[in-house]
Amino acid sequence: MTALRLFVMRVYAMAFKEALHVRRDVQTMIMALVMPLILLLLFGFGVSFDLDHLAVAVADEDHTPASRLVTDAIANSSDLRVVDGLESARDAERAFHRGDAVAALIIPRGFAAALARGQAADVQLLVAGSDGLTATQVLAKAETVVAASAARFAPAGVRVSAPVTVASYIRYNPEGRSALMIVPGLVAYILAMIAVLLTALAVAREWERGSMEQLFCTPVGRLEIVIGKLLPYLVLGGLAVLLVLAAGAWVFDVPFRGNLWTLGLASVLFLIGMLGQGLVISVITRNQMVATQAGLLSSMLPSMLLSGFLFPIDNLPPPLRLVSNLVPARHFIAALRGVLLRGNGFAELTTELLALAAFAGAMLTIAALRFRRRLD
Amino acid sequence: MSGDAIDVSGLSKHFGAFRAVDDVSFHVESGEIFGYLGANGAGKSTTIRMLCGLLAPTAGDATVAGHSVARDPLGVRRAIGYMSQKFSLYIDLTVEDNLAFFGGAYGLSGRRLRSRMDEVLTLVDLRDARGTTTADLPGGIRQRVALANALLHAPQIVFLDEPTAGVDPASRRAFWRLIRRLAHDGTTVFVTTHYMDEAEYCARIGLMVAGRLVALDTPSALKSLWVPGTMLAVHGTGLSSAAAALAGVSAVRAVEPFGAGLHVRVDPALADGREVTRLLAAAGAREVSVVVTEASLEDVFLAAVATPEGPAAAPAQVSP
Repeated sequence: MTALRLFVMRVYAMAFKEALHVRRDVQTMIMALVMPLILLLLFGFGVSFDLDHLAVAVADEDHTPASRLVTDAIANSSDLRVVDGLESARDAERAFHRGDAVAALIIPRGFAAALARGQAADVQLLVAGSDGLTATQVLAKAETVVAASAARFAPAGVRVSAPVTVASYIRYNPEGRSALMIVPGLVAYILAMIAVLLTALAVAREWERGSMEQLFCTPVGRLEIVIGKLLPYLVLGGLAVLLVLAAGAWVFDVPFRGNLWTLGLASVLFLIGMLGQGLVISVITRNQMVATQAGLLSSMLPSMLLSGFLFPIDNLPPPLRLVSNLVPARHFIAALRGVLLRGNGFAELTTELLALAAFAGAMLTIAALRFRRRLD
Repeated sequence: MSGDAIDVSGLSKHFGAFRAVDDVSFHVESGEIFGYLGANGAGKSTTIRMLCGLLAPTAGDATVAGHSVARDPLGVRRAIGYMSQKFSLYIDLTVEDNLAFFGGAYGLSGRRLRSRMDEVLTLVDLRDARGTTTADLPGGIRQRVALANALLHAPQIVFLDEPTAGVDPASRRAFWRLIRRLAHDGTTVFVTTHYMDEAEYCARIGLMVAGRLVALDTPSALKSLWVPGTMLAVHGTGLSSAAAALAGVSAVRAVEPFGAGLHVRVDPALADGREVTRLLAAAGAREVSVVVTEASLEDVFLAAVATPEGPAAAPAQVSP
């Protein structure tokens, strides 16, 4: 019998046995298939950077049809709402100061007159800078709403000779929905965690139950154990990818614009890398408790903080930016955003695919090398 | 292959300063049942794990089925079957799934795998248990599954580490019938145990005390070497207080309580037991009866633990 045939046979025996464990272990199934969905829904609905109904205090000192048009535009916008009952800039400032409003729009006396004369008509927008994210959003939204309201001046009978135009357009995500940013990040984050845990437990369990001793007594090689252990969980992880992406498309309207095979390859490489990381942890710790802790920490933290999921890579301090290259989730998120949103294929994502492949290869090598075929 | 199945020379395993196995040498012949005796922690399991290639020896080497355990552990693994002390098959899988997996690990597949599974399950009389999850089987039956598993790839040598620990007497006896049958069919059996009655079934016995092999021979040779003289089984009443009367007698080698009576080991001069009866009666014992009996391996074991330096160093010992 050739060595290759023996190798394939042993890997098959190992993978089949592992699949039997999975089939009989409801907990693993739930962890692999149900947990990603629950996490996606929880985070997807829970974590949103979209702020709506931001309170804007409007002080209309002009009391003209033009100034009322601006106020109405804000009141009718879904993102903003007007804090009522203000007479002057002073009132607005007070509401702003008390925290009743995150921004104050002041329409000064002479606003309509200036528009009619064809001069630039200034409105003042005060923004509370104490919350950076809110400040940026309210600034952008108020600007857009005010600029848009100008378009309605003429039909409403307001004579305008200097219309304001704001030329901005957001590609790929014109509505600025944060779901489109978050879902690819979440997919990577959730899969990283699940994949590492799956294999971290699988090998540690054998040590704890004593079956590793019996396994070591057979001629099965360490590479055969590593690959055999990996395969069933790769299938399970693949199913989880499909489920999560389907849920992302269905629940959060995440589009799929790019190449399916590119995404498939990226997913497989990413899963092998994370499953491999779980194996490495398992091989070293030999203990389910420790493996769980190490698995969660080593997958969750980098995948959340150093992956571009929550914080843009460009905003990281240079040393961390370097470290982030070693985080597979970073490359997987880049690939997901590329394929899902930008319509990318193999050509645009070569770097990401190579990085994922390198990580996967490194993890498998370390797992196989660290796998001692002896008990001591 | 004829001659020695296992050849051990100077084998040692140290864990830090602790010498679990200390300079052990012996050999096991092909087709022999070799018993390895010792108290818990005496180094039995460590020796077996080194012989199976599971632990690397600190010093020395052993040749198992022609392969060096230090240099060619993989060759060793292919040639041997191993059954560990703790049940170490997968408890969430059925008997059949376990056997199929380990068979595959040894490179068996298809019809060959199925016929070997049939053979070993028939041997251990568990054909009906194929589909049962091993977690649902009682201890004695699990041990038979583990034995069937160790025999699946028809190894030349099987290592059984305390195969009958915690198993009821009937199952133990059935298990030993299997072991004898294996040896009869040509398989070398290396078995550890701390049941002395089981050790009697072995062709030869090695005795481990604190990491050292202190004795190695057939059971009867061990008995005549370690417990020389004639063993008298004494029954009666008031024996425990009367036993002191035998202490000063030079022809009495050892006095030990045994069940409700005494085991008195004597030189040939006292072998007929009349003098022993007289001495005990004079010291107050009543209804004394004496019969000649055979020394047990337990007597050997106790003697060896008391004087691991060897039988020559053994003083006459008397305990009430």
